[in-house]
Amino acid sequence: MHTTEPIVTGASVLGIQCVDGVVLGCDTLASYGSLARFQRVRRIVQPGADWVLGGGGEYSDLQEVARLLETMVTREYCQEDGVVRAPRAVHRYLARVMYQRRSRLDPLFNSLVLAGRGRFLGVVDMYGTAFESHVVATGFGSLLALPLLRKAWRPDMRMEEGAACVEHCLRVLFYRDCRALSSVQLARVPAEGAIEVSEPYELGELQWHVAQTVA
Amino acid sequence: MDRPLSHSSFLPPLFSSAPHPLSPPHSVPHPSAAPSVNAAERPARWSPYQDNGGTVVALAGRDYAIVAADTRFSVSFSIPTREFTKITQLTDRVVLASAGMGADRQYLHKMLHTRLAMYRHQHQRDMSLPAAAQMLSNTLYSRRFFPIYAFNVLGGIDSATGEGFVYGYDAIGSHEQLKVVCSGSGQAIVQPVLDQQFSGRQRYSVPDAERAPSLTLEQATALVRDAFASATERDIHTGDALEMWQITAAGVRQTRYELRKD
Amino acid sequence: MRSPHFLDRTFAVHDHQADRLPTHPLHSAAPAASQWTQLQEAVAAAPIRFLHGTTTLAFVFQHGIIVAVDSRASMGQYIGSGSVRKIIEINPYLLGTMAGGAADCSFWERYLGMRCRLYELEHKERISVAAASKLLANIVYRYKGMGLSMGTMIAGWDKTGPQLYYVDNDGTRLHGKRFSVGSGSTFAYGVLDQEYQWDMEPAAAAELGRRAVFHATHRDAFSGGYINVYHVRADGWVNLSHDDSGIAKFREYIGYERYVKKTAAITQERPREVEGEVREAQERMAI
Repeated sequence: MHTTEPIVTGASVLGIQCVDGVVLGCDTLASYGSLARFQRVRRIVQPGADWVLGGGGEYSDLQEVARLLETMVTREYCQEDGVVRAPRAVHRYLARVMYQRRSRLDPLFNSLVLAGRGRFLGVVDMYGTAFESHVVATGFGSLLALPLLRKAWRPDMRMEEGAACVEHCLRVLFYRDCRALSSVQLARVPAEGAIEVSEPYELGELQWHVAQTVA
Repeated sequence: MDRPLSHSSFLPPLFSSAPHPLSPPHSVPHPSAAPSVNAAERPARWSPYQDNGGTVVALAGRDYAIVAADTRFSVSFSIPTREFTKITQLTDRVVLASAGMGADRQYLHKMLHTRLAMYRHQHQRDMSLPAAAQMLSNTLYSRRFFPIYAFNVLGGIDSATGEGFVYGYDAIGSHEQLKVVCSGSGQAIVQPVLDQQFSGRQRYSVPDAERAPSLTLEQATALVRDAFASATERDIHTGDALEMWQITAAGVRQTRYELRKD
Repeated sequence: MRSPHFLDRTFAVHDHQADRLPTHPLHSAAPAASQWTQLQEAVAAAPIRFLHGTTTLAFVFQHGIIVAVDSRASMGQYIGSGSVRKIIEINPYLLGTMAGGAADCSFWERYLGMRCRLYELEHKERISVAAASKLLANIVYRYKGMGLSMGTMIAGWDKTGPQLYYVDNDGTRLHGKRFSVGSGSTFAYGVLDQEYQWDMEPAAAAELGRRAVFHATHRDAFSGGYINVYHVRADGWVNLSHDDSGIAKFREYIGYERYVKKTAAITQERPREVEGEVREAQERMAI
């Protein structure tokens, strides 16, 4: 059966490119309509050693994409020639997959963010549109978080700063996006060295008293 | 018995069996025989299309061609990125710019580069401007029943004479050789101005023969910059930056100008 | 037999799988045939507009065939182009015209040109107009119901003399002496039927074609631009003229010049008699 409307959905994914790597962040909620159905799901996956994938939209389709990439990585491993796809190649591959599915009128209902070694940060949407950017936000985040990220971004930004910025945006999203959650996951993808995907954790110091002052 | 020659991947696919009495029955029903349900009674379906806006311009003079486009990528009222190029270089003398849907644009550009590479390997030379123009048309028409949502302008110089020409297209490959053309979300704003300023149209006292473009490359560059600055003022889907490719006998030169980002 | 390697397929001319969906790798993005209805809805809902709208006409007379067309192509309300070449030169002896979808007409008539050339190579003689038009009719008939849009005339001179056929996307193919196709065709027919005579001289016949198309551009919003006229003769076609439909000569056809002169007289010189006429007119309108 084709996905013509998403059922179980993840919300925004955020990403920012720093001078020493890339930071990716999202919450851990998979909603069932307006119900906060699954609250501790991972929306950041790391099938390969050099890149991570964050995804929003239909969760089953995201799992399908993850399976696809795991298969790809397994094949590379079995080849035993030491050749692996670079993040940019994976990004292009994903774009072709998404475009092919939309052209079969059987889309994968996702927005995907790929972060990789060598400060790679790119997006692919359900139509197969692919682009790279310094800052990235999908879903509701493209309305609420993208301007914040664009404002905060500096070419000499370091990953600690980037992580703080992403966390701040996730907090803002939690305040205003009804499909967002305070339980989040962050991935740190340094230009060199091991990728670090955090376990889900709670955003601290939430301040709801300001809610009284807004309509 | 008439059947399209099958050696060309350019012919649009047939979705049905031939209604020819001699052809064997086919498992796929003829599309016109498919049960039609009133579309209004059904919930809105997902659309494989998306309009990502943007304006593209191409114009050509005696010894140059200019292909220009803005870099904004919009989805309804938001701008996911301000740096999404609409332009791709096909050969040393031919440059293509496409407005419309981002994914279809990328697909089309990729497809054209594939076909150009195949041509290069078979013929050991680059495709000429008219050949590239015809190939683009055929590529668009090969998707006649599932159109590529891209509005293209192609610009380049003739490899023999060095004269600049541009080509304008609709989404399914209808095309025309021109001296100036604009496509995309700012088309209705920009095209009439360029007709007047560049081609000398709307001046009926001037005979056709004397309306040939006489702008220099520098003048034409300034005109395109002004046109984009104006389009950015009035079209919400155009803006951020202007990419301009100048094609002359000396080669291609790419320049970039900032536009309003609001 | 099909070779497993896709490049070999480039040369597989007699491929009997031609009826199926193409499996050529460059056709990767085609949806399945069973999704046709869904696909058509999606395409119809998308804001894609194609070039459309026209006045074209052709008629046979003593000295051959006159083909006359306008040059406007509209995309909805927007004039996509004012300089379309709606007479398609299939080969030196055959002309096709363009009405309906511009891409459909130009693509298939170009393809027809290729088929006619292959016919020549195979049979060592030129194809007849009847056969050429039938090739086109058969091609579009195979695509019937899939949304092609073309109303075309195939005009040419073969062993049997000047021949004119009308072919459209339904697969209709008609042989005749006079045709006009497109949104402005009714206006063109009016002029054409009024003035047409078999034994016209070429110049008069060409002028009739021009005039008929001019009146169509005048009354049909979807027609306009330039008026192109071709003459199909025993030795092939010739391009007779290419005129802006806005030029003064055409305005004479509707008495526009005299009207302009009179208004100019009123605004500039205001001679006594004219002033009196104006006053009278104003008084009439006041009543």
